[in-house]
Amino acid sequence: MRSGHKVGLLNAVFILLLLLPAHRKQDRIRYFNAPTIPLKPDTVQAFVSHFKDDAGNDTLFQTRSKEGYPVSYFRKIKTSVCFDNKCRLLDIVLYWNVTGRYLGFELPEGEFLSKTEHEPFKPEEYGRLNELLADPFSPLANFSYEELVPKADLAASGLDAVSSATSKNVLDYVVEGAVYTTYKMWHFVYGATQKEVVSLTEKRLSPGFVLKILESPDSGDKIWALNHIRGRVELTSGLRNTLLSFIDNNRFNLAERAINALSPDELKSDSLQLRLFEKFPQTNYALKNLIVTKFKEAPHLNPQVKTALARALKSANGELLSNILDLFKLHRVTDRETGRIIADLLQSPNNFLSQKAFIYLKSANIDDKTVVKQLNDYKAKHTL
Amino acid sequence: MEKIKRRSALTSLGALSLGMAAPTLSKGERLSEPYQLIQQTLKTDILVIGGGTAGVVAAIQAARAGRKTILVENGSQLGGTTTTGGVNYPGIFFAWGKQVIGGIGWEMVQEAVALNDDTLPDFSIPHGKNHPRHQVRVNGQLYALLIEEKAVEAGVQIRFYETPTSATFQKGNWTVQTVGKGTSTQIVCNQLIDCTGNAYAASLAGFDLLRESVTQPGTLMFRLEGYDFNSLDLKTIKSRYEEAIKKGELVKSDFRNNIVGLLKSKGDNIQHVLGADSTTSEAHTVANLKGRSSLLTTLRFLRTLPGCEKIRLADVQNETAVRETYRIDGHYKITHEDYVTGKVFDDAVSYSYYPIDVHDENGVVPDHLKEGVVATVPLRALIPKNSRNFLVAGRMVSSDRLANSALRVQASCMGMGQAAGAAAVLASMQNKTPLDVSMKDLRKLIEEHGGIVPVSSQKG
Repeated sequence: MRSGHKVGLLNAVFILLLLLPAHRKQDRIRYFNAPTIPLKPDTVQAFVSHFKDDAGNDTLFQTRSKEGYPVSYFRKIKTSVCFDNKCRLLDIVLYWNVTGRYLGFELPEGEFLSKTEHEPFKPEEYGRLNELLADPFSPLANFSYEELVPKADLAASGLDAVSSATSKNVLDYVVEGAVYTTYKMWHFVYGATQKEVVSLTEKRLSPGFVLKILESPDSGDKIWALNHIRGRVELTSGLRNTLLSFIDNNRFNLAERAINALSPDELKSDSLQLRLFEKFPQTNYALKNLIVTKFKEAPHLNPQVKTALARALKSANGELLSNILDLFKLHRVTDRETGRIIADLLQSPNNFLSQKAFIYLKSANIDDKTVVKQLNDYKAKHTL
Repeated sequence: MEKIKRRSALTSLGALSLGMAAPTLSKGERLSEPYQLIQQTLKTDILVIGGGTAGVVAAIQAARAGRKTILVENGSQLGGTTTTGGVNYPGIFFAWGKQVIGGIGWEMVQEAVALNDDTLPDFSIPHGKNHPRHQVRVNGQLYALLIEEKAVEAGVQIRFYETPTSATFQKGNWTVQTVGKGTSTQIVCNQLIDCTGNAYAASLAGFDLLRESVTQPGTLMFRLEGYDFNSLDLKTIKSRYEEAIKKGELVKSDFRNNIVGLLKSKGDNIQHVLGADSTTSEAHTVANLKGRSSLLTTLRFLRTLPGCEKIRLADVQNETAVRETYRIDGHYKITHEDYVTGKVFDDAVSYSYYPIDVHDENGVVPDHLKEGVVATVPLRALIPKNSRNFLVAGRMVSSDRLANSALRVQASCMGMGQAAGAAAVLASMQNKTPLDVSMKDLRKLIEEHGGIVPVSSQKG
């Protein structure tokens, strides 16, 4: 039990999910998006939370695979959608992915959604609803219930608020004729349940499970998983390989999050440092800088990495050069080879580079005659 | 010698004072000489005027490439629109899943994000209506500190509180006269980069400028707090707002005729100051007075509304940020057609990605670029006609109004800043005017410093 919000385990015993036979499923109206985890649900566990919404109940179901990984979540919503002083029942099952991303919806057998005058949804309208619910950035997040329909029109008795009077700027984000239904469902999807889904998933994190999430076709899922590695799950060999595979120029977010996921403790490993450095020559300037910055978190700097970075100094410019020198300063790099490479920079026609080299060498106290001579020559030239 | 002079001067002062009224000096006080205006001449390779979004990048680029660089800024901090203006979301750096603005601008933004424990947006989400999601939010004040540190580390000599009063070109060098608080400085430079946002240096230098008869409004950024938007009776509030406008108590255009938008945004980029112009002290004073007065009037009105009685001002920027003033008449004028078709120029030096975004008194409806389209900026658009050793970077880039409404945004200005800085470096080193710099050398230099240059990147 966590503090802050109470999660009650409804059933201590796992209930075997009786997968619905295909023909029964076909009877139901179901719309789903690409799942984060394409594994078959094997069991279902129920959790009770205080959602403080009007879904009719506080039970959130978690489906799990045979391996015990959470696969999806669902809530059985029974609520009223009210407008124009009339209410109608909304009976629907909403599904979430393990990362909190909307997965889909399903209507109980024989149920259908209706619009104004009880006109049933057409298939394309179900599809549109599914699309709208999948948009986490929908402006519906910021619309208040009152803004959906202009007040002057609402006041007109008998006029359907949905078909003719919906605010113009809302129309792009709702199923026409079902503005309140769309709005209400969107807020269920992105309301308290979503936070609870994430919280329950976080309790089941394991290297294998995170690896599964990283296989998701959705980049948001991948970022979610990368944000849930550091300090939470062990960086196994498989996870390390996958994580490093994300460091490439074409997917900056994933590369940045993957680098961020490496903790100082893991950077104790020389092999990890070397694997990370393998990415250095292939990456662009921004990622190169992130890799160098990451090595600042390492408790020690692998000698091979240090030598390779020292050689990279010969062609480095601007921020990258500063960053490498800062890294060397942090790790107190004072060996002769590195010292000589840096001392060569003293002769650069670029004042910025030579000054950077001078500042480094002045405090590094490198015990090498060549370096000392170059340093003294520089001082004499610049009357320092 | 100096001591004697000083002593005798003080003695004379003392004698004068004795003759009138003897000052009573407390312990630790001394009678001080009147402040003398410092007049000096400075020589540098590159002078950047304006330390805003583009200028700070141009100056850092120039200094990191080894050129002696002076940066003159008439305010008290660097960053311009991002910091002083309070528009602390300097997007957009990624387009259609790929990074289009990198280099020094991106380095500064990314460091500000990291140091504030912020996170970058997911740049893979589609553009179009989600374009605000691509904006990278930074802590403006932290950003100001960081970029100042970077400029100083690069060796840029920063001169705050100074503004140019003349710019003349003689014998291959520019002589720029500046005035500041107690300073009168003549700066002789080989290359001059105008990053004032208003083409002010270009104007002083005598180059032609372009301006719309009606420019886009400016915005005073602020933040409201002390109310719960979701519990407000918006119908009543709207009706009260309309009534106040009818009575002349409020001005319709001040908040885009959108009281709900004002309350929902809590003041974030919602105010419009018509005709706001930052070119001169007088014009910017007017823009500041208008912005503050309208905010104060509106704040008082808001506090009379149900549910808003405790509304208060959590924060307000020091000045009204300005969108549009003057543009240069450059060797090439980027057109709306160029922008929306993503024309890649032979001399393209940076990308720009933003919807066509013209604010008017009714608000703004961004016109998004078609999928895959990313505009580019040619070097020629950064160089005024008939100029030598002169570049601009930022919103005064040579362009038509519609193209400019997209080019003016901060990330694009950073890209232009780096390109202008690099072009000035090469021109200074090779004793050329920027138009004659080899494109191959220019691309190489920009890329060595992390910048992204259109053509060469495409060729891989």
